[in-house]
Amino acid sequence: MSLLRVENLSVAYGAIQALHGIDLVIEEGEIVSLLGANGAGKSTALRAISRMIPLRGGDIFYLDQSVKPIPPHRLVALGMAHVPEGRGIFPNLTVGENLALAAWTQKDRGRLAASYGKVFGLFPRLEERREQLGGTLSGGEQQMLAVGRALMTDCRLMLLDEPSMGLSPLLVKEVFRALQEINDQGTTLLLVEQNAHMALKIAHRGYVLENGRKVLEGPAARLAQDPRVKEAYLGVPTPTHPPDD
Amino acid sequence: MDTVIQQLFNAAQLGAVYALIALGYSMVYGIIRLINFAHGDIFMLGGFIGLLLTTHLGWLPFYLMMPLAMLLTALAGVAIERVAYRRLRHAQRMSVVITTLGVGIFLENLVRLTVGPETRQLPARLPTAPVLWLQNTLGAFVTWDKLLIILLSLALMAILWLVINKTLVGTAMRAVADNKDVVPLMGVNLNLIIAATFAIGSALAAAGGIFYGQAYSIDPYMGIDLGWKAFIAAVIGGIGSIEGAVLGSFLLAGVEVLTVAYLSSNLKNGIAFGLLILLLLVWPSGIMGKPMLKKV
Ligand SMILES: Nc1ncnc2c1ncn2[C@@H]1O[C@H](COP(=O)(O)OP(=O)(O)OP(=O)(O)O)[C@@H](O)[C@H]1O
Ligand SMILES: [Mg+2]
Repeated sequence: MSLLRVENLSVAYGAIQALHGIDLVIEEGEIVSLLGANGAGKSTALRAISRMIPLRGGDIFYLDQSVKPIPPHRLVALGMAHVPEGRGIFPNLTVGENLALAAWTQKDRGRLAASYGKVFGLFPRLEERREQLGGTLSGGEQQMLAVGRALMTDCRLMLLDEPSMGLSPLLVKEVFRALQEINDQGTTLLLVEQNAHMALKIAHRGYVLENGRKVLEGPAARLAQDPRVKEAYLGVPTPTHPPDD
Repeated sequence: MDTVIQQLFNAAQLGAVYALIALGYSMVYGIIRLINFAHGDIFMLGGFIGLLLTTHLGWLPFYLMMPLAMLLTALAGVAIERVAYRRLRHAQRMSVVITTLGVGIFLENLVRLTVGPETRQLPARLPTAPVLWLQNTLGAFVTWDKLLIILLSLALMAILWLVINKTLVGTAMRAVADNKDVVPLMGVNLNLIIAATFAIGSALAAAGGIFYGQAYSIDPYMGIDLGWKAFIAAVIGGIGSIEGAVLGSFLLAGVEVLTVAYLSSNLKNGIAFGLLILLLLVWPSGIMGKPMLKKV
């Protein structure tokens, strides 16, 4: 059984079709990266998987169940977490409140304590800043908080949308080190990145999207050697992003 | 001759009722940017539910009748959100405004047809004796019901403050205000939190309706005038802000009561609203309000 199976997925925003029938498979324990240029449809794919936006066609199976009838908050209870593009921190909630809210579905006190231990172990900075408002954190700290919140949901599959966005190379390294460790502890990651260099370094496999279609897939090492990937994504180690989209 | 102290108690009583209504406007606006123009009529409905409970279940003591009326009004508020507003969450603003006004007219007519158009008084269930201690120390003639209405209202506001700031449900409400789209990704049922907000706002309005019926009188159209006053109080305080709604309410009631007492009752609304316009010129988004947060 695959943890996640995306079959012939199409998504449209009004008249604009963003995804034209893509297929993806993610096995438990993997890190899979989803690459592509601006507007390729990466975020759209993650939003469809976590049910933030409706599907136009195709289907998505999480743990062999179609996600279509499942509301997004139920998917979180089933172990799917989504760290959205732009981090989605609650700016007027403290770090502690951001984390506590993400533990909404956790009823077991022991597991809750374990989740806090995991988050503060990976990001000691968050423990120091527990009382600080989310909106006043630096970009890097906000990204740690976004990943920390996903961990607080006690997830099995974590969808990450450009965790390296807007971070200095040093912080990017720190975030990726944390992602590697999260995966080592058993969480499966679907990692959307424009920083193909870093993403392919930690990923087992990857997919490349172009204009809403899957154009390449394979083991990360092979993708990193592919001339098309090299030319399109590895030429620019720190891609620039539009500030908001 | 009424003393200033007595006038301040009158203002506090009226302000407490305004605040109990204004909080609902502010909470709902704060989390989903919806101005629920039917909220004044929910206040009226709460008063009439209180009246029906007191007349038909006369054996119910006040301290049970009030929570029961609040609960029933909360259910009405949740039902209204579910049936009339939820589908419009992404609709144009004008459609939403018209719907809330329509719900208000519906409630007014529902109550008028079932209970009748007359002005009524809630049977006094709070003691109406003067508070001797205040008479002896301050020389002010203040009745127990007035003092209790003020104190119970403040207690409800304190409970609300605790719920919003110290519980996980309150955290979720503030999260919805911050960034509604991300809330489901935390595993939180957004609809449940919005329903809870309507429930709490409606329950507080019901408390206001019952207090108003004890202190003054109720009729099916009282929600229009008081609803507007409370809405304006919420705007002055900074709509979306809990503290602002309370502050604006006491300020508005204070100006109104003192104008009537020392100037003229004809000038009441003119002076009150003139002052409000001045305040809003100084603080365009209300005293405690922040400029609307930009969408992230
Ligand atoms: N809310 C929206 N309304 C209309 N069109 C949208 C919306 N969101 C995305 N799109 C369009 O869908 C396409 C795919 O967008 P998407 O955000 O999925 O790209 P992306 O691969 O995540 O890009 P980036 O790397 O810049 O984040 C783009 O053409 C975009 O303009
Ligand atoms: Mg994107």
